[in-house]
Amino acid sequence: MRLLVLVVLSVALMVVDARFTLLKPVRSQMSLVLMQSYWITDLPQRLWQGVASQFGSRTELVAENEKLKTENLLLQGRMQKLAALTEQNVRLRELLNSSALVNEKVEVAELIGMDPNPFTHRIIINKGERDGVVLGQPVLDARGLMGQVVELMPYTSRVLLLTDTTHSIPVQVNRNGLRAIASGTGNPERLELRHVADTADIKEGDLLVSSGLGQRFPAGYPVATVKEVIHDSGQPFAIVRAVPTAALNRSRYLLLVFSDTRTPEERANDAAQAQENLDAQGGGPIIPATVPKPAAVIAPAAAAAVPATAPAATPAKPAATTPVKPAAAHPAAAKPPATAPAAKPPATQPAVVKPAAKPPVSAPATTGGRE
Amino acid sequence: MVGATASRNGWMIWLTFAIGMLLSVSPLPQFMEILRPLWLALLLAFWALALPHKVGMVTAWCLGLAEDVLYGTLLGQNALILTLITFLVLSLQQRLRMFPMWQQSLVILVIFGLAQLVQLWLSALTGNRQPTLALVLPALVSALLWPWISFGLRGLRRRYKIN
Repeated sequence: MRLLVLVVLSVALMVVDARFTLLKPVRSQMSLVLMQSYWITDLPQRLWQGVASQFGSRTELVAENEKLKTENLLLQGRMQKLAALTEQNVRLRELLNSSALVNEKVEVAELIGMDPNPFTHRIIINKGERDGVVLGQPVLDARGLMGQVVELMPYTSRVLLLTDTTHSIPVQVNRNGLRAIASGTGNPERLELRHVADTADIKEGDLLVSSGLGQRFPAGYPVATVKEVIHDSGQPFAIVRAVPTAALNRSRYLLLVFSDTRTPEERANDAAQAQENLDAQGGGPIIPATVPKPAAVIAPAAAAAVPATAPAATPAKPAATTPVKPAAAHPAAAKPPATAPAAKPPATQPAVVKPAAKPPVSAPATTGGRE
Repeated sequence: MVGATASRNGWMIWLTFAIGMLLSVSPLPQFMEILRPLWLALLLAFWALALPHKVGMVTAWCLGLAEDVLYGTLLGQNALILTLITFLVLSLQQRLRMFPMWQQSLVILVIFGLAQLVQLWLSALTGNRQPTLALVLPALVSALLWPWISFGLRGLRRRYKIN
Protein backbone atom coordinates (compact mmCIF):
# COMPACT_ATOMS: atom_id res chain seq x y z
CA MET A 1 0.00 0.00 0.00
CA ARG A 2 2.71 2.38 1.03
CA LEU A 3 4.65 1.30 -2.04
CA LEU A 4 1.73 2.19 -4.26
CA VAL A 5 1.41 5.65 -2.76
CA LEU A 6 5.12 6.33 -3.07
CA VAL A 7 5.30 5.04 -6.63
CA VAL A 8 2.36 7.14 -7.71
CA LEU A 9 3.86 10.11 -5.94
CA SER A 10 7.21 9.73 -7.69
CA VAL A 11 5.62 9.28 -11.08
CA ALA A 12 3.51 12.38 -10.50
CA LEU A 13 6.62 14.29 -9.43
CA MET A 14 8.48 13.20 -12.53
CA VAL A 15 5.69 14.27 -14.84
CA VAL A 16 5.33 17.62 -13.12
CA ASP A 17 9.07 18.17 -13.15
CA ALA A 18 9.32 17.32 -16.83
CA ARG A 19 6.38 19.44 -17.97
CA PHE A 20 6.17 22.41 -15.66
CA THR A 21 8.47 24.73 -13.79
CA LEU A 22 6.48 24.32 -10.60
CA LEU A 23 9.14 22.32 -8.78
CA LYS A 24 12.13 24.49 -9.65
CA PRO A 25 12.08 26.41 -6.33
CA VAL A 26 11.89 23.16 -4.35
CA ARG A 27 14.81 21.78 -6.27
CA SER A 28 16.84 24.91 -5.82
CA GLN A 29 16.19 24.96 -2.06
CA MET A 30 17.22 21.32 -1.74
CA SER A 31 20.29 21.89 -3.83
CA LEU A 32 21.36 24.63 -1.47
CA VAL A 33 22.14 21.94 1.11
CA LEU A 34 22.88 18.96 -1.08
CA MET A 35 25.27 20.61 -3.51
CA GLN A 36 27.66 21.01 -0.60
CA SER A 37 28.52 17.35 -1.04
CA TYR A 38 30.18 18.10 -4.36
CA TRP A 39 32.15 20.76 -2.60
CA ILE A 40 33.12 18.34 0.16
CA THR A 41 34.21 15.61 -2.22
CA ASP A 42 36.26 18.20 -4.03
CA LEU A 43 37.90 19.28 -0.80
CA PRO A 44 40.80 16.79 -0.72
CA GLN A 45 41.97 17.90 -4.14
CA ARG A 46 41.66 21.53 -3.15
CA LEU A 47 43.65 20.91 0.02
CA TRP A 48 46.27 19.02 -1.95
CA GLN A 49 46.60 21.91 -4.34
CA GLY A 50 46.93 24.27 -1.41
CA VAL A 51 49.64 22.16 0.17
CA ALA A 52 51.43 21.73 -3.14
CA SER A 53 51.48 25.46 -3.72
CA GLN A 54 52.74 26.01 -0.17
CA PHE A 55 55.68 23.72 -0.69
CA GLY A 56 56.41 24.52 -4.30
CA SER A 57 60.15 25.01 -4.59
CA ARG A 58 61.55 28.45 -5.24
CA THR A 59 63.26 27.53 -8.49
CA GLU A 60 60.04 26.11 -9.84
CA LEU A 61 58.18 29.24 -8.94
CA VAL A 62 60.81 31.43 -10.49
CA ALA A 63 60.74 29.35 -13.65
CA GLU A 64 56.97 29.53 -13.77
CA ASN A 65 57.08 33.25 -13.17
CA GLU A 66 59.50 33.66 -16.07
CA LYS A 67 57.29 31.59 -18.30
CA LEU A 68 54.18 33.54 -17.37
CA LYS A 69 55.99 36.82 -17.96
CA THR A 70 57.02 35.77 -21.45
CA GLU A 71 53.53 34.57 -22.17
CA ASN A 72 52.09 37.78 -20.86
CA LEU A 73 54.42 39.77 -23.07
CA LEU A 74 53.41 37.77 -26.12
CA LEU A 75 49.72 38.12 -25.33
CA GLN A 76 50.02 41.82 -24.76
CA GLY A 77 51.82 42.19 -28.04
CA ARG A 78 48.95 40.44 -29.70
CA MET A 79 46.50 42.59 -27.78
CA GLN A 80 47.94 45.77 -29.26
CA LYS A 81 47.19 44.51 -32.67
CA LEU A 82 43.80 43.31 -31.52
CA ALA A 83 42.77 46.78 -30.42
CA ALA A 84 43.45 48.13 -33.87
CA LEU A 85 41.71 45.20 -35.49
CA THR A 86 38.67 45.53 -33.26
CA GLU A 87 38.42 49.17 -34.14
CA GLN A 88 38.67 48.39 -37.80
CA ASN A 89 36.14 45.62 -37.49
CA VAL A 90 33.67 47.94 -35.80
CA ARG A 91 34.10 50.50 -38.54
CA LEU A 92 33.63 47.94 -41.29
CA ARG A 93 30.54 46.61 -39.59
CA GLU A 94 29.20 50.11 -39.42
CA LEU A 95 29.65 50.45 -43.13
CA LEU A 96 27.62 47.27 -43.50
CA ASN A 97 25.02 48.55 -41.07
CA SER A 98 25.31 45.27 -39.18
CA SER A 99 24.99 45.16 -35.46
CA ALA A 100 27.14 42.28 -34.27
CA LEU A 101 28.79 42.76 -30.94
CA VAL A 102 32.53 42.57 -30.70
CA ASN A 103 33.08 42.56 -26.98
CA GLU A 104 31.42 40.33 -24.44
CA LYS A 105 31.84 40.32 -20.72
CA VAL A 106 33.23 37.20 -19.12
CA GLU A 107 33.51 35.96 -15.58
CA VAL A 108 35.67 33.19 -14.16
CA ALA A 109 34.05 30.14 -12.60
CA GLU A 110 35.58 27.07 -11.08
CA LEU A 111 34.72 23.45 -11.68
CA ILE A 112 33.57 21.74 -8.50
CA GLY A 113 32.20 18.43 -9.69
CA MET A 114 31.53 16.04 -12.51
CA ASP A 115 28.24 14.36 -13.13
CA PRO A 116 28.52 10.85 -11.64
CA ASN A 117 26.58 9.34 -14.53
CA PRO A 118 29.21 8.23 -17.06
CA PHE A 119 26.78 8.45 -19.97
CA THR A 120 26.18 12.17 -19.68
CA HIS A 121 28.78 14.88 -19.99
CA ARG A 122 27.85 17.47 -17.44
CA ILE A 123 29.89 19.39 -14.94
CA ILE A 124 29.06 21.50 -11.93
CA ILE A 125 30.52 24.96 -11.48
CA ASN A 126 30.68 27.24 -8.48
CA LYS A 127 28.65 30.12 -9.89
CA GLY A 128 24.87 30.14 -9.73
CA GLU A 129 21.74 32.19 -9.98
CA ARG A 130 22.90 34.59 -7.28
CA ASP A 131 26.01 35.36 -9.31
CA GLY A 132 23.91 36.38 -12.27
CA VAL A 133 24.25 33.20 -14.27
CA VAL A 134 21.31 32.57 -16.60
CA LEU A 135 19.94 29.48 -18.23
CA GLY A 136 21.58 28.70 -21.55
CA GLN A 137 24.61 30.83 -20.84
CA PRO A 138 27.68 29.81 -22.86
CA VAL A 139 30.74 28.53 -21.01
CA LEU A 140 34.29 28.72 -22.36
CA ASP A 141 37.69 27.67 -21.26
CA ALA A 142 40.96 29.25 -22.36
CA ARG A 143 40.94 27.34 -25.64
CA GLY A 144 37.37 27.31 -26.84
CA LEU A 145 33.71 26.73 -26.17
CA MET A 146 32.85 24.12 -23.59
CA GLY A 147 29.09 24.07 -23.32
CA GLN A 148 26.08 25.80 -21.86
CA VAL A 149 24.36 26.14 -18.51
CA VAL A 150 21.38 23.80 -18.29
CA GLU A 151 20.38 23.94 -14.66
CA LEU A 152 20.53 26.81 -12.21
CA MET A 153 20.90 26.46 -8.50
CA PRO A 154 21.44 29.31 -6.07
CA TYR A 155 25.22 29.06 -5.81
CA THR A 156 26.08 26.38 -8.33
CA SER A 157 24.99 25.46 -11.81
CA ARG A 158 25.15 22.49 -14.09
CA VAL A 159 26.84 22.82 -17.46
CA LEU A 160 26.09 20.53 -20.39
CA LEU A 161 29.27 19.93 -22.38
CA LEU A 162 29.50 20.02 -26.17
CA THR A 163 30.25 16.32 -26.34
CA ASP A 164 27.08 15.15 -24.59
CA THR A 165 24.96 13.05 -26.91
CA THR A 166 22.01 15.39 -26.48
CA HIS A 167 23.98 18.51 -27.42
CA SER A 168 24.48 20.14 -30.81
CA ILE A 169 25.97 23.46 -31.73
CA PRO A 170 25.83 25.44 -34.99
CA VAL A 171 29.34 26.00 -36.30
CA GLN A 172 31.05 27.28 -39.39
CA VAL A 173 34.39 26.52 -40.96
CA ASN A 174 36.66 29.42 -40.18
CA ARG A 175 38.43 29.19 -43.53
CA ASN A 176 35.41 29.63 -45.78
CA GLY A 177 32.32 30.13 -43.64
CA LEU A 178 30.72 26.79 -44.49
CA ARG A 179 27.95 26.18 -41.98
CA ALA A 180 27.28 22.89 -40.21
CA ILE A 181 25.99 21.45 -36.99
CA ALA A 182 28.36 19.75 -34.60
CA SER A 183 26.78 17.11 -32.41
CA GLY A 184 28.21 15.45 -29.36
CA THR A 185 28.99 11.76 -29.51
CA GLY A 186 29.42 10.84 -25.87
CA ASN A 187 33.17 10.67 -26.38
CA PRO A 188 34.95 13.60 -24.70
CA GLU A 189 37.40 13.92 -27.61
CA ARG A 190 34.96 13.70 -30.46
CA LEU A 191 32.31 15.81 -32.18
CA GLU A 192 30.54 14.86 -35.37
CA LEU A 193 29.32 17.15 -38.11
CA ARG A 194 25.91 16.03 -39.29
CA HIS A 195 24.60 16.28 -42.84
CA VAL A 196 27.65 17.72 -44.52
CA ALA A 197 27.41 17.27 -48.28
CA ASP A 198 29.97 14.95 -49.82
CA THR A 199 31.24 17.73 -52.03
CA ALA A 200 31.49 20.37 -49.31
CA ASP A 201 34.80 22.15 -48.98
CA ILE A 202 35.95 20.90 -45.64
CA LYS A 203 39.20 19.19 -44.85
CA GLU A 204 41.39 17.91 -42.10
CA GLY A 205 42.74 20.61 -39.83
CA ASP A 206 39.97 23.13 -40.47
CA LEU A 207 39.04 25.20 -37.46
CA LEU A 208 35.32 25.24 -36.64
CA VAL A 209 34.04 28.34 -34.89
CA SER A 210 30.61 28.98 -33.45
CA SER A 211 28.38 30.64 -36.02
CA GLY A 212 25.99 32.24 -33.56
CA LEU A 213 23.02 31.08 -35.59
CA GLY A 214 21.20 29.35 -32.78
CA GLN A 215 21.22 32.63 -30.86
CA ARG A 216 22.56 30.69 -27.93
CA PHE A 217 26.31 30.83 -28.41
CA PRO A 218 28.13 34.02 -29.38
CA ALA A 219 29.65 33.90 -32.84
CA GLY A 220 33.33 33.40 -33.48
CA TYR A 221 34.56 31.29 -30.60
CA PRO A 222 36.62 28.24 -31.57
CA VAL A 223 34.74 24.98 -31.10
CA ALA A 224 36.72 22.17 -32.69
CA THR A 225 39.29 21.24 -35.28
CA VAL A 226 38.39 18.75 -37.99
CA LYS A 227 40.23 15.50 -37.45
CA GLU A 228 39.09 13.41 -40.36
CA VAL A 229 36.74 13.62 -43.32
CA ILE A 230 35.59 10.31 -44.70
CA HIS A 231 33.92 10.13 -48.10
CA ASP A 232 32.00 6.90 -48.24
CA SER A 233 30.16 6.43 -51.51
CA GLY A 234 27.61 4.27 -49.73
CA GLN A 235 26.63 7.11 -47.43
CA PRO A 236 24.49 10.10 -48.41
CA PHE A 237 26.71 12.52 -46.47
CA ALA A 238 30.36 12.82 -45.66
CA ILE A 239 31.42 11.64 -42.25
CA VAL A 240 33.24 14.48 -40.53
CA ARG A 241 34.83 14.02 -37.14
CA ALA A 242 36.28 16.83 -35.09
CA VAL A 243 38.13 17.24 -31.82
CA PRO A 244 36.93 19.96 -29.45
CA THR A 245 39.54 22.65 -28.92
CA ALA A 246 38.52 23.15 -25.30
CA ALA A 247 39.99 20.74 -22.78
CA LEU A 248 36.57 19.40 -21.87
CA ASN A 249 37.70 16.92 -19.29
CA ARG A 250 40.75 18.75 -18.00
CA SER A 251 39.91 22.41 -17.52
CA ARG A 252 39.35 23.50 -13.97
CA TYR A 253 38.80 27.21 -14.55
CA LEU A 254 36.07 28.22 -16.94
CA LEU A 255 34.76 31.47 -18.33
CA LEU A 256 31.09 32.38 -18.28
CA VAL A 257 30.15 34.65 -21.17
CA PHE A 258 27.67 37.42 -20.51
CA SER A 259 26.46 38.63 -23.86
CA ASP A 260 24.28 41.65 -24.34
CA THR A 261 20.79 40.26 -24.69
CA ARG A 262 19.05 43.58 -25.18
CA THR A 263 17.46 44.30 -28.50
CA PRO A 264 18.90 47.20 -30.52
CA GLU A 265 15.95 49.37 -29.53
CA GLU A 266 16.45 48.72 -25.85
CA ARG A 267 20.10 49.53 -26.25
CA ALA A 268 19.24 52.79 -27.98
CA ASN A 269 16.86 53.58 -25.16
CA ASP A 270 19.45 52.87 -22.55
CA ALA A 271 21.96 54.95 -24.39
CA ALA A 272 19.53 57.85 -24.52
CA GLN A 273 18.81 57.44 -20.84
CA ALA A 274 22.49 57.40 -19.99
CA GLN A 275 22.99 60.51 -22.05
CA GLU A 276 20.17 62.31 -20.27
CA ASN A 277 21.70 61.43 -16.96
CA LEU A 278 25.02 62.73 -18.18
CA ASP A 279 23.43 65.96 -19.29
CA ALA A 280 21.63 66.31 -16.01
CA GLN A 281 24.93 66.01 -14.20
CA GLY A 282 26.43 68.68 -16.37
CA GLY A 283 28.59 66.26 -18.29
CA GLY A 284 27.62 68.07 -21.46
CA PRO A 285 30.14 70.89 -21.53
CA ILE A 286 33.05 68.46 -21.60
CA ILE A 287 32.04 67.03 -24.92
CA PRO A 288 32.22 70.10 -27.10
CA ALA A 289 35.68 70.78 -25.75
CA THR A 290 37.18 67.51 -26.93
CA VAL A 291 35.11 66.60 -29.94
CA PRO A 292 35.58 67.92 -33.45
CA LYS A 293 33.25 70.57 -34.74
CA PRO A 294 30.23 68.77 -36.27
CA ALA A 295 29.68 66.57 -33.24
CA ALA A 296 29.99 69.57 -30.98
CA VAL A 297 27.22 71.26 -32.85
CA ILE A 298 25.00 68.27 -32.46
CA ALA A 299 25.59 67.86 -28.79
CA PRO A 300 24.04 71.07 -27.53
CA ALA A 301 21.18 70.66 -29.95
CA ALA A 302 20.35 67.28 -28.55
CA ALA A 303 20.84 68.48 -25.03
CA ALA A 304 18.29 71.14 -25.72
CA ALA A 305 15.95 68.70 -27.40
CA VAL A 306 15.90 66.10 -24.71
CA PRO A 307 14.40 68.11 -21.92
CA ALA A 308 12.09 69.94 -24.28
CA THR A 309 10.37 67.18 -26.20
CA ALA A 310 11.44 63.68 -25.59
CA PRO A 311 11.36 61.22 -22.74
CA ALA A 312 13.54 58.21 -23.37
CA ALA A 313 10.85 56.16 -25.05
CA THR A 314 9.98 58.38 -27.98
CA PRO A 315 13.42 58.96 -29.44
CA ALA A 316 13.86 55.25 -29.86
CA LYS A 317 11.22 55.02 -32.53
CA PRO A 318 12.65 57.42 -35.05
CA ALA A 319 16.02 55.94 -34.32
CA ALA A 320 14.74 52.54 -35.29
CA THR A 321 13.62 53.77 -38.67
CA THR A 322 16.60 55.89 -39.63
CA PRO A 323 19.43 54.02 -41.29
CA VAL A 324 21.93 55.24 -38.74
CA LYS A 325 20.32 53.18 -36.01
CA PRO A 326 22.70 50.23 -35.77
CA ALA A 327 25.54 52.59 -35.19
CA ALA A 328 23.68 54.24 -32.39
CA ALA A 329 22.44 50.95 -31.11
CA HIS A 330 25.50 49.79 -29.26
CA PRO A 331 27.13 52.59 -27.46
CA ALA A 332 30.18 50.57 -26.49
CA ALA A 333 31.11 49.41 -29.96
CA ALA A 334 29.78 52.09 -32.25
CA LYS A 335 32.20 54.80 -33.12
CA PRO A 336 31.03 56.91 -36.04
CA PRO A 337 34.42 58.57 -35.67
CA ALA A 338 34.85 56.76 -38.92
CA THR A 339 34.05 60.28 -39.96
CA ALA A 340 35.79 62.06 -37.12
CA PRO A 341 38.89 59.97 -36.65
CA ALA A 342 40.74 62.37 -34.42
CA ALA A 343 39.03 61.47 -31.18
CA LYS A 344 38.08 57.88 -30.51
CA PRO A 345 38.28 57.40 -26.76
CA PRO A 346 35.45 57.79 -24.28
CA ALA A 347 35.14 61.46 -24.99
CA THR A 348 33.37 60.88 -28.28
CA GLN A 349 31.20 58.16 -26.99
CA PRO A 350 28.55 60.40 -25.48
CA ALA A 351 28.46 62.37 -28.69
CA VAL A 352 27.91 59.21 -30.64
CA VAL A 353 25.27 58.03 -28.27
CA LYS A 354 23.41 61.16 -29.02
CA PRO A 355 21.75 60.20 -32.28
CA ALA A 356 19.38 58.00 -30.33
CA ALA A 357 18.05 61.02 -28.54
CA LYS A 358 18.49 63.45 -31.34
CA PRO A 359 16.31 62.48 -34.29
CA PRO A 360 13.28 64.46 -33.05
CA VAL A 361 15.19 67.63 -33.88
CA SER A 362 16.41 67.08 -37.40
CA ALA A 363 17.41 63.56 -38.08
CA PRO A 364 18.14 63.46 -41.82
CA ALA A 365 20.20 66.61 -41.86
CA THR A 366 22.56 65.61 -39.09
CA THR A 367 23.02 62.04 -40.21
CA GLY A 368 23.86 63.27 -43.65
CA GLY A 369 26.40 65.62 -42.19
CA ARG A 370 28.13 62.85 -40.35
CA GLU A 371 28.78 60.60 -43.29
CA MET B 1 16.86 1.53 29.82
CA VAL B 2 16.50 -0.43 26.61
CA GLY B 3 14.25 2.27 25.25
CA ALA B 4 16.85 4.88 26.03
CA THR B 5 19.57 3.10 24.05
CA ALA B 6 17.14 2.30 21.28
CA SER B 7 16.51 5.91 20.36
CA ARG B 8 19.99 7.12 21.09
CA ASN B 9 22.12 6.09 18.19
CA GLY B 10 19.74 6.62 15.32
CA TRP B 11 21.90 9.43 14.01
CA MET B 12 24.54 6.89 13.05
CA ILE B 13 22.20 5.61 10.36
CA TRP B 14 21.89 9.07 8.90
CA LEU B 15 25.61 9.53 9.10
CA THR B 16 26.12 6.43 6.99
CA PHE B 17 23.59 7.75 4.50
CA ALA B 18 25.40 11.07 4.33
CA ILE B 19 28.68 9.29 3.68
CA GLY B 20 26.96 7.16 1.08
CA MET B 21 25.75 10.30 -0.64
CA LEU B 22 29.26 11.73 -0.68
CA LEU B 23 30.59 8.49 -2.11
CA SER B 24 27.97 8.54 -4.83
CA VAL B 25 29.17 11.90 -6.13
CA SER B 26 32.89 11.56 -5.42
CA PRO B 27 35.04 11.93 -8.52
CA LEU B 28 36.38 8.71 -10.01
CA PRO B 29 38.69 7.98 -12.93
CA GLN B 30 36.86 7.80 -16.23
CA PHE B 31 36.95 4.01 -16.61
CA MET B 32 35.64 3.46 -13.09
CA GLU B 33 32.69 5.81 -13.43
CA ILE B 34 30.76 3.07 -15.12
CA LEU B 35 31.42 0.69 -12.22
CA ARG B 36 30.36 3.05 -9.44
CA PRO B 37 28.40 0.96 -6.92
CA LEU B 38 24.93 2.05 -5.87
CA TRP B 39 26.03 3.20 -2.45
CA LEU B 40 22.71 4.51 -1.23
CA ALA B 41 20.89 1.40 -2.37
CA LEU B 42 23.41 -0.82 -0.58
CA LEU B 43 23.07 1.13 2.66
CA LEU B 44 19.31 1.15 2.39
CA ALA B 45 19.25 -2.60 1.80
CA PHE B 46 21.37 -3.22 4.87
CA TRP B 47 19.43 -0.95 7.21
CA ALA B 48 16.09 -2.18 5.90
CA LEU B 49 17.18 -5.74 6.70
CA ALA B 50 18.62 -4.87 10.08
CA LEU B 51 16.12 -2.30 11.36
CA PRO B 52 12.95 -2.60 9.29
CA HIS B 53 11.00 -0.56 11.86
CA LYS B 54 13.34 2.39 11.39
CA VAL B 55 14.36 2.43 7.79
CA GLY B 56 11.63 1.79 5.29
CA MET B 57 10.27 2.92 1.99
CA VAL B 58 9.60 6.48 3.07
CA THR B 59 13.24 6.91 4.06
CA ALA B 60 14.24 5.43 0.73
CA TRP B 61 11.95 7.80 -1.11
CA CYS B 62 13.36 10.87 0.64
CA LEU B 63 16.94 9.77 -0.03
CA GLY B 64 16.00 9.15 -3.63
CA LEU B 65 14.73 12.71 -3.96
CA ALA B 66 18.01 13.97 -2.54
CA GLU B 67 19.88 11.87 -5.07
CA ASP B 68 17.73 13.30 -7.86
CA VAL B 69 18.73 16.80 -6.90
CA LEU B 70 22.38 15.77 -6.74
CA TYR B 71 22.34 14.07 -10.13
CA GLY B 72 20.09 16.60 -11.84
CA THR B 73 17.67 13.91 -12.99
CA LEU B 74 13.91 14.35 -12.92
CA LEU B 75 12.66 14.71 -9.37
CA GLY B 76 11.25 11.31 -8.43
CA GLN B 77 13.30 9.11 -10.74
CA ASN B 78 15.83 7.84 -8.23
CA ALA B 79 13.17 8.09 -5.53
CA LEU B 80 11.13 5.55 -7.43
CA ILE B 81 14.11 3.25 -7.93
CA LEU B 82 15.20 3.32 -4.30
CA THR B 83 11.63 2.76 -3.12
CA LEU B 84 11.37 -0.28 -5.36
CA ILE B 85 14.66 -1.68 -4.08
CA THR B 86 13.61 -1.20 -0.48
CA PHE B 87 10.25 -2.77 -1.19
CA LEU B 88 11.84 -5.87 -2.71
CA VAL B 89 14.34 -6.17 0.13
CA LEU B 90 11.62 -5.78 2.74
CA SER B 91 9.39 -8.35 1.12
CA LEU B 92 12.25 -10.86 0.95
CA GLN B 93 13.45 -9.89 4.40
CA GLN B 94 12.54 -13.06 6.29
CA ARG B 95 14.30 -15.27 3.76
CA LEU B 96 17.28 -12.98 3.20
CA ARG B 97 18.15 -13.05 6.87
CA MET B 98 18.41 -16.84 6.77
CA PHE B 99 20.56 -16.97 3.65
CA PRO B 100 24.33 -17.39 3.73
CA MET B 101 26.29 -14.43 2.50
CA TRP B 102 26.90 -15.56 -1.10
CA GLN B 103 23.20 -16.21 -1.57
CA GLN B 104 22.37 -12.79 -0.19
CA SER B 105 24.77 -11.34 -2.73
CA LEU B 106 22.99 -13.16 -5.53
CA VAL B 107 19.61 -11.84 -4.44
CA ILE B 108 21.04 -8.34 -4.18
CA LEU B 109 22.43 -8.73 -7.69
CA VAL B 110 19.01 -9.63 -9.03
CA ILE B 111 17.21 -6.84 -7.18
CA PHE B 112 19.72 -4.17 -8.18
CA GLY B 113 19.79 -5.47 -11.73
CA LEU B 114 16.03 -5.07 -11.95
CA ALA B 115 16.28 -1.59 -10.49
CA GLN B 116 18.91 -0.60 -13.03
CA LEU B 117 16.68 -1.86 -15.83
CA VAL B 118 13.87 0.33 -14.55
CA GLN B 119 16.40 3.15 -14.43
CA LEU B 120 17.26 2.46 -18.08
CA TRP B 121 13.61 2.63 -19.09
CA LEU B 122 13.02 5.83 -17.20
CA SER B 123 16.01 7.58 -18.69
CA ALA B 124 15.03 6.34 -22.15
CA LEU B 125 11.61 7.89 -21.55
CA THR B 126 13.14 11.20 -20.63
CA GLY B 127 15.37 11.17 -23.69
CA ASN B 128 18.75 10.39 -22.18
CA ARG B 129 19.15 7.03 -23.77
CA GLN B 130 22.05 5.10 -22.39
CA PRO B 131 23.59 2.94 -25.00
CA THR B 132 24.24 -0.46 -23.52
CA LEU B 133 23.52 -3.01 -20.87
CA ALA B 134 26.75 -1.80 -19.30
CA LEU B 135 24.60 -0.13 -16.74
CA VAL B 136 23.91 -3.48 -15.10
CA LEU B 137 27.60 -3.39 -14.13
CA PRO B 138 26.98 -1.21 -11.06
CA ALA B 139 24.57 -3.89 -9.81
CA LEU B 140 27.30 -6.50 -10.20
CA VAL B 141 29.85 -4.39 -8.37
CA SER B 142 27.35 -3.65 -5.62
CA ALA B 143 26.60 -7.36 -5.22
CA LEU B 144 30.31 -8.08 -4.91
CA LEU B 145 30.63 -5.33 -2.32
CA TRP B 146 27.62 -6.52 -0.34
CA PRO B 147 29.45 -8.97 2.00
CA TRP B 148 31.94 -6.28 3.05
CA ILE B 149 29.33 -3.60 3.50
CA SER B 150 27.24 -6.04 5.44
CA PHE B 151 30.06 -7.11 7.77
CA GLY B 152 31.24 -3.56 8.26
CA LEU B 153 27.87 -2.12 9.06
CA ARG B 154 27.02 -5.05 11.34
CA GLY B 155 30.20 -4.34 13.28
CA LEU B 156 29.24 -0.68 13.48
CA ARG B 157 25.80 -1.60 14.66
CA ARG B 158 27.07 -3.92 17.40
CA ARG B 159 29.61 -1.38 18.53
CA TYR B 160 27.22 1.53 18.87
CA LYS B 161 24.21 -0.62 19.73
CA ILE B 162 22.13 1.02 17.07
CA ASN B 163 18.57 -0.13 17.41
